[in-house]
Amino acid sequence: MVSADIDKIKPGMILAKAVYNRQDSLLLDAGAKLTEKSIRMLKSWGVRSVWIQGQSPVTENQKSSSKSASASEIEMGLAEKFADVRDDPVMLEIMRAASRVLSKRVQEQVDEP
Amino acid sequence: MSKVDLNRIIGKIEDLPTLPRTVLKITELVNDPKSSARDLSRIITDDQVLTARLLKLVNSSFYGFPQRISTITGAIVLLGFDAIRNLLLTTSVYDVFSNHARKSKFNQEKFWDHSLGCAVGAKVIGNFMRHDKIEELFVAGLLHDIGKIVVMMYLPKEFSKVTRYVRRNDTLMRAAEQEVLGYTHAEIGKMLGERWNLPPKLLSVLGHHHNPAAAGPYSMEAAIVHLADIFARALNIGFGGDEKIPPLDGFAWEILKIKTPSVEHILEEMKKEFDDISMFITYTP
Repeated sequence: MVSADIDKIKPGMILAKAVYNRQDSLLLDAGAKLTEKSIRMLKSWGVRSVWIQGQSPVTENQKSSSKSASASEIEMGLAEKFADVRDDPVMLEIMRAASRVLSKRVQEQVDEP
Repeated sequence: MSKVDLNRIIGKIEDLPTLPRTVLKITELVNDPKSSARDLSRIITDDQVLTARLLKLVNSSFYGFPQRISTITGAIVLLGFDAIRNLLLTTSVYDVFSNHARKSKFNQEKFWDHSLGCAVGAKVIGNFMRHDKIEELFVAGLLHDIGKIVVMMYLPKEFSKVTRYVRRNDTLMRAAEQEVLGYTHAEIGKMLGERWNLPPKLLSVLGHHHNPAAAGPYSMEAAIVHLADIFARALNIGFGGDEKIPPLDGFAWEILKIKTPSVEHILEEMKKEFDDISMFITYTP
């Protein structure tokens, strides 16, 4: 396991530890295979560095729970949509607020019996 | 790619269905200072569909009145003339276009959801700012992208060129429209609004929801719709034709004077109200 600067990571690398944003919501779970899209997403959330697995291949049992999967889908979708406007600090705030509102709903749906 | 002649677009708009006569009569009546609640009530009750729909809407959770409203006069007294006009305009416009909807492969429903999301957003932002014409904001939000619907339904070939351009270049609808048609949905929407004799304020918002400063005396309303459009996209409500967020207009943000910590509260409210109302607007008896 190695810590890697966000500018050094490449698609195909596997996360060794989960990545959270400043509001502590999960962006990507440990075991996630990085894609260009997800790297862009991490950058837009201001993530500076991540933990990357060595050379080991992905294992089957690293499937994340449906809750964290849909939460990170939300984050990813938003990061993609906001890609062209994230230089604007107000837009970043809007993106984060939307993410909290949407994640809360996912959470509520999962919590319902 | 050759640009579409403006005359052709206007020609198509000339062919557009007009609003139901009842709604036009109501618009006239509302603009007449001498008319009374009884006059208005008489016109509405002549139309059974409108009557049923109006009662259903005023009794929905969207308005949240504690008691049941069972007469049109009661609804008029409670909501006021403008609100009634706007309600009927809303549902009628929806009808005018949904009749043609099945022809289009494009996801019409998602498109309306975006408009409705923007309408609800404009209402919630207006409430937050204590704007005094909430209903007007709702209608402006609902109609803000009507120009896209015109192109979709009446210039289907050009519309598919536009959507192809959006996909290939990963761009906003309006950039693609400008490239393919030479006009944006904002300009086309305004033209349609003129034909429908919509009030000047509404025309101004339709035409300038991407550049509110140009809306002059109505730039506050245009700014509200502009922000509501961004919020609806951020909340994944419906589909506006592209998967992007238009940039926030600096002037709009300045005049709105909304502090960033309030954004989450507004978004939360917007999502809740959208879920409540979407059942009523898409409902067709």
